Amino acid sequence: MHSAGHGVAALWGAVERGRSGLRPNDLLWCDLSGWIGAVPEVEETALPTHLHAWDCRNHRLAWLALQDSRFRQAVTAAISRHSAHRIGLILGTSTSGIRSTEIAYQQRHETGHWPTNFEYRRSHSVDALCRFAATVLGLQGPMVTISTACSSSAKVFLTAQRWIDAGLIDAAVVGGVDSLCLTTLHGFDALQLLSQQICRPFDATRNGISIGEAAGFMLLDRAPAPVHFLAGGESSDAWHMSTPHPSGQGAQDAMRLALANADLTAGDIGYVNAHGTATSANDRAEAAALAAVFGERGVAVSSTKGVTGHTLGAAGIVEAIVTTTALEKQRIPPSANLLRPDLDLAPLDLVAEARSVHFRYAMSNNFGFGGSNCALIFGRSD
Amino acid sequence: MKSLHFNLHAAGVLAPGIDSLPALRAACRAGQQPTSISSEPLPSPSALPANERRRSSQVVRLTLACIEQTLQTSPFPADAMRSVFATDEGTGEVCQQMLEALATTRQVSPLLFTNSVQNAPSGYFSIAWRNRQSATVASLGLESFASGLLCAVTEAMSTGQPVLLVAYDPAMTSPMDELLPVRAAMATAWIITAGSTATETPRLASFAFTLEPCETSSPSAWPEWLPESWAAHSSARSLSALGLLEAAPNTVLRLTLGAQLLCLRRIDGDAA
Repeated sequence: MHSAGHGVAALWGAVERGRSGLRPNDLLWCDLSGWIGAVPEVEETALPTHLHAWDCRNHRLAWLALQDSRFRQAVTAAISRHSAHRIGLILGTSTSGIRSTEIAYQQRHETGHWPTNFEYRRSHSVDALCRFAATVLGLQGPMVTISTACSSSAKVFLTAQRWIDAGLIDAAVVGGVDSLCLTTLHGFDALQLLSQQICRPFDATRNGISIGEAAGFMLLDRAPAPVHFLAGGESSDAWHMSTPHPSGQGAQDAMRLALANADLTAGDIGYVNAHGTATSANDRAEAAALAAVFGERGVAVSSTKGVTGHTLGAAGIVEAIVTTTALEKQRIPPSANLLRPDLDLAPLDLVAEARSVHFRYAMSNNFGFGGSNCALIFGRSD
Repeated sequence: MKSLHFNLHAAGVLAPGIDSLPALRAACRAGQQPTSISSEPLPSPSALPANERRRSSQVVRLTLACIEQTLQTSPFPADAMRSVFATDEGTGEVCQQMLEALATTRQVSPLLFTNSVQNAPSGYFSIAWRNRQSATVASLGLESFASGLLCAVTEAMSTGQPVLLVAYDPAMTSPMDELLPVRAAMATAWIITAGSTATETPRLASFAFTLEPCETSSPSAWPEWLPESWAAHSSARSLSALGLLEAAPNTVLRLTLGAQLLCLRRIDGDAA
């Protein structure tokens, strides 16, 4: 569930054409200028009566994504194959349902009382997303929420893989949800990282991110599938809380570890879905890291954040879905909103228009505040 | 399921009235709650560069102080360990300050926002000790320690590296403490490995755990040596788990983890 439509097909349709779901901010509750990736349906969505206590913007987004009938059938089949106790649930979010607390806090500030229907534990609490999704899907296995800012829902793949390898679970639902809130909109504005224009990753005129919201889920199982999750790499910059290492040292570590863990070399990768946020510092550091690992113009690269916006804690899962779909379709999506590639960056094979190519392996990068880096590698099974 | 094993090589504790592992073990042995439970001011984190030190929030001070204490007896260098940070609401006062600003002026400082991410302590840990390994933040409400332990042990198993597990809760400030009654900051840090390590590597004890569906048994009762009010702190369960060092081997501590119970026991080691 994302600003460019509902479902994987809509996401791919938009991403392949570079058709952006972003628009100038028209939220009634936030007067910042700039562009956002809002999901229009979320305002009117109502959770069913038995789930009312969980109502918040984040869970509405999750609920909309969980309506995908193919996904639900796959989860139901996995439950009957393995039992609900043997399916793990590992989800990423950066701010969970904090928008509910923002509203409630305002009322507490004005009246001295919290709204009577406000439930912190079932909306804003970091684990609320996991418990809501477990309730909706009927899962009873071990679970955890990962919250490492913008790498959150990339790191979930590695946690799931480790739990499966350790024999704790037979399958896992992974995913991530983050929703628009004043915290991130004003926070990134304070850091002067919010673009006044539509975001343009790797473009010479880029000047910041456009924040989006999204929810995404995947089922990981040992059963045969057209595309596999192979391995990932995680690292820390150990450099600065909100600025990446200038040459992307931590990003390089994550990409190299992912390649080593997948038993692959840089030359095996046919496409990298970059983190590509469109901030000056991120794209510069990531381009340097990509050139260091793959060589100058060594691999086809695009950022799809021009379509979805930067969905923060959901970016990992959204871009994993884009990357796996690209592998299935053997199509490389373009970097949306690109006007003029930034020639001051380390040279990249930046994809300006969708390409049809044969490639077996692809990487998806996500980097976050705190210098938290994660690179994932997916491969075709044929 | 088969049981998973791990070794505990060093541990640190920072809680009101319990400021070290020996203090925790003494309290547990005596079966007595800490007498003074007023919180001491948290020290400025000396491991951070001076400019970062001044800007560090209470939760960063809490976690870095506990880590620093633990590293004193660690057989592994600080930059060689992966890390898992386990917390319920891991931002504490920062969360309240952020909400206050948004409800009034909407003027948020860049530093406040930077400190408002759940992984601020893990980020500062990596900066302080130049640790470029993976750092993860695991959260599951009051079950955050159990979920973090699961993450830490499986990371140690799959990578063969030592893992630093930090379980903590910053104190919530008014009015957020009306929603989340965490009134005292506390933290424990664990340095663990999985599998067999070199015999000369110092080790406090070895542990095993299994996951079992909740309906098979009940979670363990709250230990008498920990204040009842700490049951609202996810990290207090990690203090309870360190109490296994004083219990007879194979004493089982059952911790809720979603619809599962994490059944933890000490299997050997020098518990004296």
